[in-house]
Amino acid sequence: MENRVCIVGIGLVESAQSIFELSHKELLFYSTRKALDDAGLERKDIGGAITSSYDFLEGRSLSNQFTLDSIGGVMKPCDLRLGEDGIYSLFAGYMEVMADPSKFVVVASVQKASERDSEGLGYQKLIAASMEPVFSRPVCNSIPNLLGLEPVLAAMEARAFMERSGLKEEQLARVAVKNFNNANSGREKSAINLKAVLESELFSWPIRQLTRAKEADAACTLILASEKKVRAMAQSPVFIRGIGWCSDQSHLAFRQQGLARETKWATHQAYKMAGIQRPDKEINLAEVSDWYAHRELMHCEALGFCNLGEIGSCIADGVFEKEGPLPVNVSGGLLGRGNAIGTSGLTRAAQVALQIRGQANGYQVPGVEVGLAHSWSGIPTATAGVAVLSKW
Amino acid sequence: MAKKVAIIGVGMQKFEFRKEETVEEMIFDVTRNALENCHLSKEDIEAVVYGSAVDAFCGIHNSDKIAIDASGGLLRPTMRNSTSGSTAISTPILGYTHVASGLYNLVMVICFEKMSENVAAQAVFSTVYDEAFVRPIGLNVPIQCGLEARGYLHRYGLTERQMAKVSVKNRGNALSNPYAQLPMKLTVDDVLSSPYLAWPVKRLDTAPVTDGARAVVLASEDVAKELTDDPVWIRGVGRGADSVWFMGRRNYDLGRLDYAYLAAKQAYDMAGIQNPMTEIDYAEVYDPFTYKEMQHCEALGLCPEGGAGRMIDEGISLKEGALPVNASGGLQGEGNPIGAGMSRLCWCYLQIKGQAGACQVPKTVNIAVANAWGGMFQYNAVMVIGRD
Repeated sequence: MENRVCIVGIGLVESAQSIFELSHKELLFYSTRKALDDAGLERKDIGGAITSSYDFLEGRSLSNQFTLDSIGGVMKPCDLRLGEDGIYSLFAGYMEVMADPSKFVVVASVQKASERDSEGLGYQKLIAASMEPVFSRPVCNSIPNLLGLEPVLAAMEARAFMERSGLKEEQLARVAVKNFNNANSGREKSAINLKAVLESELFSWPIRQLTRAKEADAACTLILASEKKVRAMAQSPVFIRGIGWCSDQSHLAFRQQGLARETKWATHQAYKMAGIQRPDKEINLAEVSDWYAHRELMHCEALGFCNLGEIGSCIADGVFEKEGPLPVNVSGGLLGRGNAIGTSGLTRAAQVALQIRGQANGYQVPGVEVGLAHSWSGIPTATAGVAVLSKW
Repeated sequence: MAKKVAIIGVGMQKFEFRKEETVEEMIFDVTRNALENCHLSKEDIEAVVYGSAVDAFCGIHNSDKIAIDASGGLLRPTMRNSTSGSTAISTPILGYTHVASGLYNLVMVICFEKMSENVAAQAVFSTVYDEAFVRPIGLNVPIQCGLEARGYLHRYGLTERQMAKVSVKNRGNALSNPYAQLPMKLTVDDVLSSPYLAWPVKRLDTAPVTDGARAVVLASEDVAKELTDDPVWIRGVGRGADSVWFMGRRNYDLGRLDYAYLAAKQAYDMAGIQNPMTEIDYAEVYDPFTYKEMQHCEALGLCPEGGAGRMIDEGISLKEGALPVNASGGLQGEGNPIGAGMSRLCWCYLQIKGQAGACQVPKTVNIAVANAWGGMFQYNAVMVIGRD
């Protein structure tokens, strides 16, 4: 087997509360410092640094130039800045290491919802701004209150999915309950039960306050290296066995709603690389985008965890629960932990890697050898990425 | 061990101040041109890499995402890169790693920018400055570059007259370039008497605001050899960026681009080039301002450090010179749609293949170098391409 790529350092900074006293640059510094300490490396060892962020979300153009210092990338041979979901920095880092196995590559992402108007019109205008201006954006004019733009678009696809699958609102709500409980693992049971979810504020049916992830602050840094470099490392490295990413049609009007085609195709690529043929049997644990409750289920179907007709019974039988045969979002996912938009994609990979290492304190699932991290770039995109990770 | 990667074709289109086409149409047009030039169809594309520096120009968040279908990216892996002006070369480098990693055999790289979809490009540019410490200074790009130009001229004893000669050369070269936005027949005095934007940078030292796109098709060694018996290899890549806090750098002298020397060294080491002055046949060097061409020639080792004034004085970088630079007209003459500065790389390819039309230099070109720069005096990316 040729050089494989491993995760050798993990640094995660997450908070249930908004982080006001640290800037995003400082947050990213801390997550990078943690990752370096975890890997037993220093800044001088870094051979490449890759970040991913969204300028419009940051409120500044060329936003990644400001975080270069935080990730130890100054005057280093490699520096890429992607305008993609955070999980893409893992993919780009993977390719860098494959092209030059002598390098340690830092991949990182940071997002601070607390510095923005995340609940208000600002975010909705951002969604409107991502739509093609001539034919697609005018649809915003037919929504009475722009605050409802994103929930309306999410509701459209949720309803299409419910029609395809025959699922009911209550079953979607169970996803939310699962993830809120998972996020509270080890502590008292979450106060959020099925009734609370179904009675939470309605945005646009079936999108409710508690079936739509709230934003959060987080920073995540991973350090990648070729397996050849890994011999003398302190922590057990985690293999990146397969990666895949994909984009579907640009325009909402042409897309088939309720079907996560981009995830299906990205997964196909990742499983091929990883040699996975029966994901429902071979994947021990997954962190999957649950930006909305219906999306977790759409993604489970697209990831091959179950067929369309089986989703209902999977929910009823607790297949995706923490104690089930294929636990999904044991960390709590985006619903449970909050969604640091963009960064959460990389955090999914960090969470899976921690499980494989046996370091998911308080929410560890026993015997995780093969895990899957998945991220979707959110309304109104059709872009997703998948990584299959495995034990050394 | 990295796989060998070749450029098997490019996609071109006219650079204009304001293109009538939308972002999507611009990208469609340049992708189709690239596929035609390579005799490929969109089914052959395995992955697409996009580069665009500032979404705020066209006002579309994640502007690459609206052009997935238009670029052959439908149900393909697509990835968007954005490293300021250096996007022009760091993006094909990202495309390079797609293939060098062994993951893909045929990759379409598209760089684009639509700078006309706003009231004033300079106002949009102000969003790149740190709001707490830098914006209050009142910087804009011409002022920023006036600072840097001053530092550079002072450090090496170079002159505005020498800068002007670069403008005359490049805008004159652009007269032969069918894609150029601003070809001009100028004299040195024309340039010297043009109004100052920020001393010592004058209007005729400054590339225009532009709409446009470029495409490059990359292939693995096996695929390249199937498609052509004269592949142009990517021989070396290099990237380097300094801290965005330019006031606090170890080398606070803006005149010397430490990070550009670093990037060039990586690329030349990889390419096995020890003396670029004698081993590089041709260069397309990033010249959003005339003094930048001079700084980059030095950082790329095309002349000794501090020797760029002499290089232009002695006609070395002229089209018929010993080491021609920017025979296409560079950004000065062709236009500067920030991300689509990948045109520099495209012209290196065309010169090597003998397909540069009226821009073709008289000497044989086997090895060429292209670079791009951007950010807060910050980031340089370099690519060396050529025959074995």
